[in-house]
Amino acid sequence: MHMTFPDSIKNTLVEINETARFALRFFREVFIPPYEFKEVIRQGYEVGYKSIPLVGTTAFIMGLVVTMQSRPTLVEFGAGAWLPAMAAVGIVREIGPVVTALMCAGKVGSNIGAELGSMKVTEQLDAMEVSGTNPFKFVVVTRILATTLMIPILVVFADTLSLFGSFVAANIKGHISFYLFCSQVFEKLVFMDVIPSISKSFFFGFIIGLISCYQGYNSKKGTEGVGKSANAAVVISSLLVFIIDLMAVQITNIFMKY
Amino acid sequence: MSTTFENTGTVIEIIHLKKSFGKNEVLKDVNFTLKRGESIVVLGKSGCGKSVLIKCISGLMDCDGGEIHVLGKNIPKLKQRELDSVREKIGFLFQSSALYDSMTVRENLEFPLTRHLRSKTKKEINERVEEVLLNVGLLGAIDMIPSELSGGMRKRIGLARSLILRPEIMLYDEPTTGLDPITAKEISKLMLDMQKKYNTSSIIISHDMNCARLTSNRLMLLMDGVLYAQGTYEELEKSTDKNIKAFFE
Repeated sequence: MHMTFPDSIKNTLVEINETARFALRFFREVFIPPYEFKEVIRQGYEVGYKSIPLVGTTAFIMGLVVTMQSRPTLVEFGAGAWLPAMAAVGIVREIGPVVTALMCAGKVGSNIGAELGSMKVTEQLDAMEVSGTNPFKFVVVTRILATTLMIPILVVFADTLSLFGSFVAANIKGHISFYLFCSQVFEKLVFMDVIPSISKSFFFGFIIGLISCYQGYNSKKGTEGVGKSANAAVVISSLLVFIIDLMAVQITNIFMKY
Repeated sequence: MSTTFENTGTVIEIIHLKKSFGKNEVLKDVNFTLKRGESIVVLGKSGCGKSVLIKCISGLMDCDGGEIHVLGKNIPKLKQRELDSVREKIGFLFQSSALYDSMTVRENLEFPLTRHLRSKTKKEINERVEEVLLNVGLLGAIDMIPSELSGGMRKRIGLARSLILRPEIMLYDEPTTGLDPITAKEISKLMLDMQKKYNTSSIIISHDMNCARLTSNRLMLLMDGVLYAQGTYEELEKSTDKNIKAFFE
C-alpha cells in the first residue's frame, strides 16, 4: 500500500533537516579563520549585558514568589526551617536556568530573528558578501557563540538574584538572618547541583542562537516574513528549551542518585 | 584569457547565460559584452531577470549554465578567495541601498575597506571615507545612523560605499526607484559624475528612462530570458517595435 505523509509532517521534517544542516555549517565555520572576535564581543554585550535588567528582575521575582508560595505548606508540615534549602535547590537546578533561557528566548531570540530577517530582505547580507565578508560567519557564527557563552553567565547572575529574592520573601513573614539563610542554602546545595545546571545552560544558549539565526537567515516574503521569523524564533527555541531541560534531567538522574 | 580581456578592452563578457528558479526559466540565453568605460542600462519588465543578471555577475547567485567573464575571470568557476579578489573591483549599489542598520555611516563605509584592504591604516581609512562622502555631498552625515537618513541620502551613502574601493565596474540595481523625480535626477547625475571621475564601466538596471538617457552609452532590453534589443537611447527611441516603444511612452 502506498502511504503519503501529510504536508505539515513533510514540511516539519524538511525544516528539521535544514536546521541540522545549518548547525553543521556552524560547526564547520566556527573553526575556520578569519575569526570575528570583535563581533563576538559586540554580540556578547548585546546578548549578555543588555539582558541583565530583564533577567535580574524576573529572577528576583521568581525567587520571591517561589518562597512565598512554598512557605505555608512547609510551615504546616513543621518544615519551615527547610525553606532556604528547598528554595535554593529549586532555583539552582531548575528555575534559574529555565527562566533565564525563556526570557532570553523571548528577548534575544526575537531580536536576532527580526534583525537577521530584515538584513536578509533588505539585501544587507548580500552587501556583506559583496564586501568580501562571509555573512554566515560574521552574522550567524558570532551570534550563536554569543548566546552560547552569555546565557550560562546570565544563569549564575539569575541564580544569585533569585536566592536574594528568596531571602527577602523569607523575611517578609518571618525572620532569618542573612548569615543563617546562606549557611542553610550552602549546607544543602552541592557542587553536583550546579554543574548540570550550568552545563544545560550552554545548550539552552546554543539552541536559542541557532534557531533564531536559522529563522532570520532564511526569512522570506518581505516584511511579513520578518515578523514570522521573529515569532518562530521565540516559539521554537522556547519549546526546545523545555525539551533540552527534560533530557538534561533524565541524563542527570542517570549519574546522580537523589 | 586575462590578456585578451586587456587587449580588447572588455571588462565583462556574458556567454549563453542561463538561470532558472524551479520551472521558471528567467534567463534562457543571455550574451553581451561590456567595454571599459562603457555604461549599459538594462531595461525590462519586473520579474524578467534583470536583478538576477547582475547578481550572477557579482557571484551572489549561481547560474545554471554559461560563462560570466569579469576582468578575465570566469565567475562560476572561481574559488571563494578568488571571487573575493574580483569583488574588490566591483561596486554594487543595491535597490534598497542595503546600509547596515546597526552601524553608523562611517562604519558602513569603513566595512568594505577593513575587509578587503586589511593593511590600510586608520588615518588612510578615515581619509578615504571622508573623500567619498565629500564626493556624494554628505560629509555632514558621517556619524548618523541609516534610520536617520532620507531615501535620497541612503542612496548617496550606498553609492559612496560601493565606490569606496575604487572599483573598475559598477553594478546598479534600480538606483532611482522610490525617489522623487528631482532626487532621482540628482542621483543619475551623481552616477554620471562618479563614472567620469573614477572611469568605471557600469551596468545599470533601471525602469527610469530619464536615468537611462542621462547615464547610458547603450541600452539593452531583456525580454523572455534573452536580449530582445540593444542600441543607443536615440536608436531605441526611434524604434517602431511595440515592445520597445512601450518603455519610451
